[in-house]
Order: sequence, then C-alpha cells, then structure tokens
Amino acid sequence: MNFSSFLLMRQEIALLAIILLLVIAEIFIPKHKKVSIIHLVIFLFGIHTIVGFFEIDESNLFGGMFRTNHLIHFFKNVLNIGVLILLLQSADWIKEKIVNQNKGSEFFILLFSSLLGIYFMISAGDFLMFYLGLELSTLPVAALAAYETMKRISSESGIKLILSSAFASGITLFGISILYATTGSIYFSEIAHMLTSANLTLLGVVLLFAGISFKISLVPFHFWTADVYEGAPISIASYLSVISKGAAVFILMILLFTVLQSLAHFWENIIYVIAIATMFIGNLFALRQQNMKRFLAFSSIAQAGFILLGLIGGSQLGTATVVYFVLIYIFSNLAAFGVVQAISLQTGKENIKDYEGLYRTNPKLSLVLMLALFSLAGIPPVAGFFGKFFLFTAAASKGFYFLVFLAVVNVTISLYYYLLVVRAMFLRKGDNPIPFFRNKIYMRIGLVITVLGILLLGIYSPLYDYIYELSSAFN
Amino acid sequence: MDILSLFIVVPALTVLVLIFTKNLKQARMVALAGSLVQLGMAINLLFSYIKEREINEAIMVFTKDVVWFKNFNIHYNIGVDGISVALLLLTAIVVLAGVFISWKMEDLPKEFFISLIVLSIGVYGFFISIDLFTMFVFFEIAVIPMYLLIGIWGTGPREFSAMKLTLMLMGASAVLLVGILGIYFNSNADGGALTFNILEIAKVNIPVEAQRLFFPITFIGFAVIGALFPFHTWSPDGHASAPTAVSMLHAGVLMKLGGYGVFRVAIFLLPEGALHWSWFFIILSAFGVIYGAFAAIKQTDLKYINAYSSVSHLGLVLFALLMLNKTAWNGAILQSLSHGFMTALFFALIGMIYGRTHTRDVTKLGGLLKVIPFISAVYVIAGLASLGLPGFSGFVAEMNIFVGAFEKDDIFYRIATVIAVSAIVVTAVYILRVVGIMLMGPVKNEAYLNIERVRWYEKLGILLLLLPIIAIGVAPLWLSEMILKSLDPFLKGVL
Amino acid sequence: MNLNHIILIPLIPLAVFLILGLFYNKIKPAVSGYVGVLGLLISTSLAFYSAYNYFFVIGKTEGVYQTIVEKTVWMNFTDSLHIDMGILVDPISVMMLIVVSVISLMVHIYSRGYMKGDPGYTKYFAFLSLFTFSMYGLVLATNLFQIYIFWELVGVSSYLLIGYYYTKESAVAAAKKAFVVTRFADLGFLIGILIIGYYTGTFDFETLNNPEGTSILNWASTSFMGLSALTWALVLIFIGGAGKSAMFPLHIWLPDAMEGPTPVSALIHAATMVVAGVYLVARLFPMYYFIEDGFALNIVAFVGAFTALFAAVIAITQTDIKRVLAFSTMSQLGYMMLALGVSGYEGHEGLGYMASMFHLFTHAMFKALLFLCAGSVIHAIHSNYLKDMGGLRKYMPITNITFLIAALAIAGVPPLAGFWSKDEILVAAFEHNKFLYIIGLFVAGLTAFYIFRIYFGIFWGKEGAYKNKPHESPWSMTTPLLILAFLSIVGGFIPFSEFISADQAGFETHMNYPLAAIAVFAGLIGIGLSWLFYKKENELADKFANRLGVLFTSAFHKFYFDELYLFVTKKILFNIIARSAARFDKKYVDGTMVGIGNQTVNTSEKIKGLQSGKVQDYAFAFIAGAVVIAIIFIYIWTN
Repeated sequence: MNFSSFLLMRQEIALLAIILLLVIAEIFIPKHKKVSIIHLVIFLFGIHTIVGFFEIDESNLFGGMFRTNHLIHFFKNVLNIGVLILLLQSADWIKEKIVNQNKGSEFFILLFSSLLGIYFMISAGDFLMFYLGLELSTLPVAALAAYETMKRISSESGIKLILSSAFASGITLFGISILYATTGSIYFSEIAHMLTSANLTLLGVVLLFAGISFKISLVPFHFWTADVYEGAPISIASYLSVISKGAAVFILMILLFTVLQSLAHFWENIIYVIAIATMFIGNLFALRQQNMKRFLAFSSIAQAGFILLGLIGGSQLGTATVVYFVLIYIFSNLAAFGVVQAISLQTGKENIKDYEGLYRTNPKLSLVLMLALFSLAGIPPVAGFFGKFFLFTAAASKGFYFLVFLAVVNVTISLYYYLLVVRAMFLRKGDNPIPFFRNKIYMRIGLVITVLGILLLGIYSPLYDYIYELSSAFN
Repeated sequence: MDILSLFIVVPALTVLVLIFTKNLKQARMVALAGSLVQLGMAINLLFSYIKEREINEAIMVFTKDVVWFKNFNIHYNIGVDGISVALLLLTAIVVLAGVFISWKMEDLPKEFFISLIVLSIGVYGFFISIDLFTMFVFFEIAVIPMYLLIGIWGTGPREFSAMKLTLMLMGASAVLLVGILGIYFNSNADGGALTFNILEIAKVNIPVEAQRLFFPITFIGFAVIGALFPFHTWSPDGHASAPTAVSMLHAGVLMKLGGYGVFRVAIFLLPEGALHWSWFFIILSAFGVIYGAFAAIKQTDLKYINAYSSVSHLGLVLFALLMLNKTAWNGAILQSLSHGFMTALFFALIGMIYGRTHTRDVTKLGGLLKVIPFISAVYVIAGLASLGLPGFSGFVAEMNIFVGAFEKDDIFYRIATVIAVSAIVVTAVYILRVVGIMLMGPVKNEAYLNIERVRWYEKLGILLLLLPIIAIGVAPLWLSEMILKSLDPFLKGVL
Repeated sequence: MNLNHIILIPLIPLAVFLILGLFYNKIKPAVSGYVGVLGLLISTSLAFYSAYNYFFVIGKTEGVYQTIVEKTVWMNFTDSLHIDMGILVDPISVMMLIVVSVISLMVHIYSRGYMKGDPGYTKYFAFLSLFTFSMYGLVLATNLFQIYIFWELVGVSSYLLIGYYYTKESAVAAAKKAFVVTRFADLGFLIGILIIGYYTGTFDFETLNNPEGTSILNWASTSFMGLSALTWALVLIFIGGAGKSAMFPLHIWLPDAMEGPTPVSALIHAATMVVAGVYLVARLFPMYYFIEDGFALNIVAFVGAFTALFAAVIAITQTDIKRVLAFSTMSQLGYMMLALGVSGYEGHEGLGYMASMFHLFTHAMFKALLFLCAGSVIHAIHSNYLKDMGGLRKYMPITNITFLIAALAIAGVPPLAGFWSKDEILVAAFEHNKFLYIIGLFVAGLTAFYIFRIYFGIFWGKEGAYKNKPHESPWSMTTPLLILAFLSIVGGFIPFSEFISADQAGFETHMNYPLAAIAVFAGLIGIGLSWLFYKKENELADKFANRLGVLFTSAFHKFYFDELYLFVTKKILFNIIARSAARFDKKYVDGTMVGIGNQTVNTSEKIKGLQSGKVQDYAFAFIAGAVVIAIIFIYIWTN
C-alpha cells in the first residue's frame, strides 16, 4: 500500500478535490460574482474529464474492496462525459434559477458527491463498498430533485425519491445480508465461488436484483420514475435517466456476469420476464404522455427493457453491447433532455403540444430533437440503431428469438410515440408556436457534442471494437 | 472511389449542398444537377457492367469489401449483377423524373428535396448491398423519410397515412430483423465463421428446420413493402396522401425493395424454406393479384385506383418469384422494372391532372382529352401499357411470368396461374373505365376548358418515364438476356 | 427467296403511323391524307408483286406451295421456348396480304373524302396506318405469340377507331365493350398458347402444323377431363378467334362497334380484323384437323353454323343499316367458320378450307363495298336509319349501282363473286354433314332477303323527308366503290383452289350443278320476298312481323344478349364482386391493421391507473413484485 497505488483511485481523488475546491470557492467568491462558479466548475470538470482518459492500470486496493480495470475506467469516463454535457446544458438554468438564489456551489457539490458515489459503486470489489457507493450516489440526488424549493411538485418528487430509494436500499441491504449469510463473505470474488442455488441464496439474489432494478427503473420497480422526473429539475431528471441509470446497469452487469455467473440459469429467466414487462409497460405508458419529461421518463424505462436483452446475451458480447448501448443512450437521451431543457428555460413550456410548429421557428433545435428521438427509436444511420441492433444480436446469439421478436414489436410501438413528437414539431403548423430564440454558448456546445455523438458513435466502428476488447475484463 | 460507392456519395453530397440552398430555385437546380449526375452514373454503370460481364463470371461484379464491425463480421460489402444494375437505372430515372415533377414545390423546398434524395440513398444502397446488415440499414434509411415526405407535404389525412405507412413498413422491417439474425446465427452451420455476407451464406447449408422457421419471417418482412395481400393496406392511403413525386418514388422504386429482397435474401439464402412455404404465399399473392384488380374497379380516387393496381401488379411479382424457375423470375424482375416506370408515370400524370383540376375523383372529371391532350394521350398510353399491351414493357414481363408459371405441371399451380392470368381482363376493365370516364366523353366542367397545357418540365418528366416503357416493350431481348444471365446462380438452391 | 420487300409491306404503314403520330399537330390534314394513301399504295403494290412472285414464280416446288419463313428471336423464355418476330409466307398469308392491302387502300382513299374537315383528320389516318401495320403483322406472323401480339395490336387500334368520336358517350362505351369482350376471349387464346407452348415446346406454326400427324398426336398425350390438353388448347384458341370474329356468344361487341366512322367499319369490322379469327383457325388447321380427329374442329363448325343463322335472323329485323351490315358480317363469318369446320385435309377433301378462304376473299370485297356504300349514303343524309331513307337511286346513281352489285354478290347470284365462294361452302357442308348444309342453305336465303330489304329500303320505296336534296358523294369516295364493285364481279373467277388448299398442293374444283342451282334458287326466293315486301312501301312487312310476334321482337332486340351481358358484368361482377372487394379491403383488411394500432393505444389508456402517484402504492408494488418474482423463479419456473 504505497503512495503510487493511490493513483489507481485518481478519478475519485480528483473529483473529491473538485468538491473541496468548490467548498472553498463558495467561501471566497463574493456574492455578486457567484456566476463565475459555473465557469469554474465547467472548467474544472472539463479538465477532470480529459485527464480521465489517461491510461490506468488494473488492480485492487484495500484487499479487493476497491478495484479498477480498463472497462470500469472507461465507463467512468463515459459517465464523466455525460455529466460534462449535462453541466453544459444546465449552465444557463443554474445561473438563472440556482445561483441567483445563492445555492450554486451546493448544487454542484451534491451532484459531484453523487457521481463520486457512482464511482465507488462501480469500482466496488465487495458489497460494503458497493452499498456505500449506492447510498452516496442516491441521497444527494434526492436533495437535488427537491432543489427548486419554490415548486411544490419539486419537493414532492424529492420526497418520493428519498422515500422509495430508502426503501430500495433497505431491500438491497437485506439481499446482501442474505448472501453474506449463505456464503459467509462480502467479497465478490469469494462469493462467486461459494454460491449455491439454495433457495435462500436465490432470495438474496432476487432482493439484490430488485434493489438495483429500482435505480434502473425496471418494471415493477419503476413507479417512482415518472413522478420524480416530472417534478425534479430537468437537469436532475436527465441525470437520473442517464448517469445513475447507466451506472446501475453497469454494476448490475458486473454482478451478474462475475459474482452471480454460476446462477445464470436462474437470473436469465427473471431477466427474460422483466425485460418483456419493462418494454411493454414502458412503451404503453409512454404512448399517451403529454408532458415531455414524463414522456422521456417512460421512454427511458422502455430503453432499460431493451438493455436487458444485452444482459441476457451474457458473456463478452453481452457486456460489450450493453456498454456500447449505454454510451449511445447517454448521448441520445441527453440530446433530448437538452432540447427540453432549453425550451423550458426559454418559455417554460414542457408539453408535446407546445412543440407544434417548432421546426418552422427553431429548425436547429427541432432537428437535434428529431435526431435524438430517431436515435432512441433506433433508426439508421444514427447511433441508436446500432446500439439496439447489437443488443438484439446478443440476445439472439443465445437463441432468444422470441424475446427479440417481442423487442422489435416494442421498437415499432416506441417508434409510434417518438414520431408523435416529430409530428408535433414538423408536420403541425401550431397555433402559437414557440418563437425563435438563440441558445447561450454552453447550451449550444452541449447540444453539438450530443449531436456529434449521435451521428458518429454508430458509424465509427473502432469504438465498438475497443469496447469489445475491454469487455473481456469480466470473462 | 469505386463506381458503386458513388451511388451513395453523390446523393450524399447533393444533400450537403442542398442544406446551404436558400430558396426553391437554388434547391431544385441542385437537386436536378445531383439527379442528372446519378442518371449519368447509372447509364455508365449499365454499359460498363455489360462490358465487365463478358470477362467476369463472378455472381457480383464491381465488388468492394470493407470490414465495418469486425466482431460481428459486418462488412460494407457492395457489388452488382444484372438485376441490381437494371433496378439502379430505374431508380435514377424515377428520381430525376420526380425532381422534374416537383419543379414547383413551394413549401419548404430545401427540406423536400433533401428527404427525397436521402430516400434515394437508401434505395441505391439497398440495391448494391451484398451484406445483410448493410442492406438492412439502407432499407430503413429508405423507408423513414417517407414519414416526413407524406406528413409535411402530403394532402388529405396526411398525418394518419404517414403514420400508418411508416409503422407498417418499419414494423415489417423489425420482423425482418429477426429473420436476418436467424440467418446470421445459422451462417456457421458448416463450421465457418458467422457472416452477414449473402454470397457466403448462400454457400452454407443452413439446417432445414431453421430455413423453414425463418423463411416466412424474412419473406413477410420484405413482402409487406411489396404490397403482399393482406399487408398492402398502407399503400392506398399512403399513396393517396403522398405528394406526387413521393408517390412516384415510393410506388416506382421503394415497393420494388420487397420483391428484390425476397429474391436476394429469402429465396436465395433459404431455398428449402422457399420450397416448403411457396404454396402458401402463392395463394396469397395470386389472390392479391385478382383481388387488387377487382378492388380497383370500384375506386373513384385516381390514386386509389393506381394503388390497388399496384397491389395487383406487384402481387404478380411475388407470385412469379415463388414459382422458383428462371423464366418466372425473369418475368418478376421485368415486371418490377416495368411497373416501376408505369406506376411512376401514372402518379406523375395524376399529379398533373390534380394540380390543374384540383380533384382526383374520376366521376367529377371528363373529356380531358380535349383540354389537356398531351397529358391525356400519355395517360391512355400508360393505361394500355399497364393492361399489358404488346409493344410496352408490361406485356413482356407478364408473358414471362405466365410462361414461367406454366412450367409447373401441377393442378394447384395451374389454377393459381389461370387466376393470375385472368387478372389481365379485370385490369383492362378498370383502366378503360378511367380512360372512358375521365379522358373521353364530353367536358364535364366548364372550368376545365381553360386549364393550362403541359409545361416543359412536366413533359420532360413524362417522356423520361415513357421511353423506357416503350424501349423495353419493343426490344426486350438485351435486357432479359442481361437478367437471365444473372439468374443462374440463384437457381441452384431451389432445383 | 428474298423477302425484304415483304418485310417492307408492314413497315411502311408503321412508319406512316409514327410520322403522323409524332407530328400530329404540325402536319396539315391534306398532307397527312396523302401520306397515308401514298404509303399504302406502295405497300399494296409490293403485296401484289410478292403475290405474283409467290404464286407464279417461286412459291411452288414439285406441285406443293412451300412455306417460307424468315424470323429472328425477339424475346426468349427458356433456351428452347422463345418468341420470334418474322414473316411467314404461304398461300393464305399472301392471299390475306392482298385482301388487307386492297381494302385498306380503298378505305384510305375513301376516307379522304368521307372525313374531310374532321378535326382529328391526321389522328384518324395515323390510327388507320397503325391498324394496317398490325393487321399485316398478324397475317405474316410466324408463331402463336407473334400472332397474339399483333392480335392485341389490331384490338387496340380497333378500340381507338371505334372510340374515334371520343366525345360521344355511346362511342366510348362501344369501344370499351369491344376491347373488353375481345380481351376476355383473348384470355382463352393466351391460355391456349401457354398450354401449347408447355406441351409442344414450341410456338412455331411450321412445327405445329407439321402434317405428319404423328408428332402432333404424340403431343396430345396428357389429358384433362377426358380431352387431351392440346384439344383444350385448340378450343381455348378458338375462343380467342371467336371473340375477334364475333362468333356467338362473343358477338355482342360487333354491332356496337358501328359507332366508329363508317370507313373504319368497312375496313376493320367487315373485311379484315374480324376475319382474323377465321384466319387463326385456318392457320392452325392441321392441328385442328389431326388432333383427336378434329374434335375441336366440330365445335368450330357448329358454332359457325349457329352464328350464321342467328345473325342472319337478327339482321332481318334491324333498322340501322350499319347494324344490318354488321349482323350480316357475323353471319358470313359464321359461314367461313362452318366451312373450315367441315373441311378435310388432303386434296378435294380440303374443299371447305379452300372455300372458307375463298369466301373470306370475296366477302372482304363485297362487304367492304356495302359498308362504303352505306357510308356514302349516311354521308349524304346524315342518318343511319332506314326510316330516313328511300328513293335515293336517282340522287346517288353510282352508290345505287355499286350497292346493287354488292347485294347481288352477297346474295349469291351468279356470276358474281359471292356465288362461287358460297357455293363451294355449301358443297363442302353437303359432303360433310347434311344438317349443317340445310342451315347454310336457309341462311343463304335469309341473306338475300335482308340485304335486299335494306337495298330497296334505301334506294327505292317512298322518298325520305330530306332537308336538303341529297347528292352523290365526291369522286374520292365513289372511285373506291367502283373498284370494289369491279372486284366483286370478277373476284369469283379466280381459280382459288389452284392456289389455296389445306395441304397447299392445290386441286381441281368442279361445279356441282344441282347444289349450285338450289343455292341460287334459295337466294332468288329471298330477293323475291323482299321485292314483295319492300320494293314500294306496303303493309305486308309489318303484318308479317306482327304475325311472328314474340320471335320478331326478340330478334329485334338481338335476343336480349346485351341485356344478359350487362346483367352479368354490371350487376354481378362490378356491383357484387368488385364493390364488396373494395369494401372488404377498407373494412376488414385495413380495419385489422388499424385496429391493432388502436388496440395498443386503448391498452395504454386502460392501464394508466397503475401509476397512482402514491408512494405507498409504489412501495407495495415494489415489495409485491420482489416477492412474486422470488416465488415464481425459486419454486415454479426453475431449470
């Protein structure tokens, strides 16, 4: 345990440093200059993101409590990019709604703490670290969800989130303790060997699974999603739908493929059913949403359902396709949320109906949103198509053709409601369309990045090959 | 840059330039230039193909193979044989004609032409793909612009029609995806690596059970866009609502993807499945042929008439493909081409008539021969071509199909064939009905007496489509020779 | 033999058609008229030249007329099966060349006068040329598919010409009817061709007509419903022929076709196109004769005989002179079919075949003449109806004389053309089947009667109430009349059997005086009766008609066949099948598709209650879900 091995936790340390720096900055930056915090944060986090891409070698710390490898590291970078984009997109909102009420730094501190929690969660080598990370990643978000204290709905969503997630963590903890009871260890590596398919163990697995499913918002653990998204500030909604969901998927994948690999025959059935339920429920609910945020909430539920097809594919292929999809999904969803954010900030309008005739007033924005939706719907040549196609390939590789069939049925359903938004923007003229407006620089950068991602991530195949290489990590 | 990739690149560049155009004038000039180049390339391709074929015996020529996703063994793998060359030419011509017909597209011209060209990219890519994945990608690229094209520039219940069309076609392509994955994961049956490469897979003996399982899926996945009964219902509403050029491109080219895909993928890769299922789909398609024709008789909206006649004519394509012999296949390809030109021509003419009289209801029209002689005369010619008059492409195609179908010496096939053949009478009925009511007879509406005559760009568009119909009809040999040569490799599986 | 000049015969009209068609709005009418006539003049002279060349110079080798073929592949189905385009020269095709050329030329010349001042003058001549081209192609066809191709083309040119006055609803309807009915018949033709192609592996007449019956009989192996496939094919092909030649029951289009300009009726619906059916059967005569002892041929005979009678009876009752002529054409075509039907193959056996062709030839001349005369009359008084006519002989002397000649010819009065050919037919029938002979004889009488009925009606009897005094037609119209009249007189003296016979060997015919006498007598009775009835107006005719009562009225209504067809097509096919197909499509097929969509939306509507918005419900769902999953997958679904 020498100093150099701390560098293995570079990301965590750096992020911690940023958080502390913010605390200090909060103290020293005069009241009327608070806005500069935003620039500072974006600058610092930008650096952090870039630095993150430097290679890091694989190993374990604290006796296997904390581990890192290229895939995990890569995934952290992915999350960094996501958060960065998110910061860019919400910069203006923060300036107007948060900083002016002098709550700027707290916002960032909470956000980053949650991210830090995610780091630890996905780097966890045992259930203790995993649980700590899980909690740390969840609680601050609850606070953030309720951040717009002026709005009743915001506080409501905060409460709903804190209650349900507390509940979920409880269940998770219960599951973990059962596993500990049956295997006598909390270390992933050891549990993997001592697993038996005793009913109690299986129960533990189920509960653990349920706890994580809550964060991924799989049916039937998804109910909080829509309400929270709707109430929470858009940035937080998108944070939940993209970053924390992505991370949860990733950790679930790790657990399934490493710790619970020997029980594959067991959890495959569960995932099979949950996948079907999630896809259908998510889509059917998304069909009739009027509010963009709820709409995206349910669409993100459905997307989670598709992700499960990758998980059921198992092995390296499954890992690769899932990570690849999550990456693409982050860009697509952030693009969508970004546009919603921009419009809501300018006009306060959040309903699909308000978007009618958008193309004729704000062509660029509507094009971005269209690309994002096409990507979510999985229409070539945008990235989403490749992500989905590969997920299905993973499922088919295990012979789950019927599951794939149900999935494509759902793709068609989802296409319908994504097209409803496109219809509003392009086909309809609109009685009082949203007037033309220009976005601030940060927002524009944020959107451009996402669009580039949507357009290139799919067609640029080396990326997938790279991920595929990394994915050998857990096999 | 190889001769085939240009078919992707040139339209793509056209789109890029279009993005920076300011108004209708610029947009249409750019679109025109782009599609002219495409036509040039297509013609050039035709000749260089014929030259190449003399020295090159490979199934596909001008092939280019670039690894794309190496872990899935996905390649950007392109090449052409006589069939795809012919269809590329068809596409280029119809696109150019479409641009001419949309000469006066006032609303969002730039976006219109962009969507149109994007659609054509999809079609070109589909026809040149040898890799199933690439093919599928282009397939969806070709379909999705339809939503905007119909939804934004359409008429009548455009939103509904656009949604219905898109969902049915994308739904079909989703089903197709299952079929493709099924083929993919059986492509290593002989111990090789998994591959999407059609030519490779064709060499593999996919297990019979797998073939029987995935043939109907793949077939339907493609056949829906080929207007197979009972999955044709997107087409009447879709065509009725679509703007002229879109109807042209869609009925003229896009619907051909169905037959082409069935031939290239379903039958070629799953011959056992084809043999096992052909009887069932023959029933559907033969029924579709006669059914579409009868349904067309009672329609009053010109576009509906044409849509149903498309159901009938394309039913014949699938019918012929399922006959699984060379002559019928030759007929099927020829029918695809001839229907492509004819139906595009029809929609162009309908568009012109509608643009002048503001109605597509035949019962409201009458005596147009007097007021717009050129358009009406061409309509008559197109009608005669469509009812399979010798001297026009339709006749050649149909005769090949019928003779081919008759090679099946079995009472079931005989009956099916006779049913299909008898459609030529019904076709005559609904065509002549329209001609009689709409073009001949006294001028019903005084207002029509002073509607404007045909404009130069309309004339160009019309002739562009009319000439191939006559060319194929008068001298079919060279074309059918080109196609027949390309059919042999596909035959061995189903013998 | 070098056939290049024969190839030119069809190509010239085609060229004319293209020129007139492409520049129809640039060419002056007068010019287009001359272009048409000139082009056809060349074709005609070429036709005569090649006829002379064939019959007297190079056609015959050791006593048998050779079949000379030149062809090239036009479209290939399989390696063996292909459509050729080419020309086949044998006695009947050359004979048809002459017929088509002469009539078409006459009609062209005539039309220059008849159509003068018509807005669509150029278009009219373009269509005429198109038709002539197609007819030539049909005559010279070397194989079934080529004949089918031109068969369709003559069909469409007939469609265009019947519908020439396209602003007249009736004309449009007639054109459509003609096309659809013949198209329906062609369906049979096409299927027949397909069967032959499949079983014989060829479409070529040479191979098919190979008189060494052996090969033909070998083909006739596979059978369906007791008849050999090839017999079926021949029957189906005959249906095609019956459609074009207006045999019962596919005759209904011909009378309506009279809506077209009269010269067109003369050319297409009297002399040339309508005989295509007869020509087709003659073309395939060896097959008809040899396969299953000519089973199909008997059908031809009886259908022909019945049509001859049926049409003749109707002809008596019609009041529109063009329609009378139309039915008379049907009746004469029936004669020709009858003759083919009763014919044998070798030598004098093949009398019927020769007689049929002979009658085709002579009939073309005098029937065209009749139509052109009728045209000249209609031109003069602008009406088709007998009631508006009468006493025209002093106004239109030439028309009167020529019409009389034609009438005598068709009535079979020696020595005019009709007598000879008809006589041969009756002889052939007599030798083959007495019953058919009786019918033929009776029809001969009827023919004489109805033709003189209209002759007297037009040129004698009470003078019609003419607004302005009718006058003889211009020379451009009368010259063709005179020429055709001349041909109708001398046409019969051609020693036809020398040139044309089933086995192409030629044979001697001898007058069978008793039969001839009877035939002539029948004709004279007919003439006599109509002299009594119609020479000058009197009650006799009407009395007689009333005496016949129902028979007369139903004959007058063409035995209600149009009504029957209308019922079947309009009521059953369109209103029941077509409409229900359309409705079924909208309601059920489309309904299901849309229904699926709506159902999805409804479901989403139904389940929205699940999302209550209460945290406690969520928590419950959460725990319940976990438990249910645990139970199911731990205890029930385990593998």
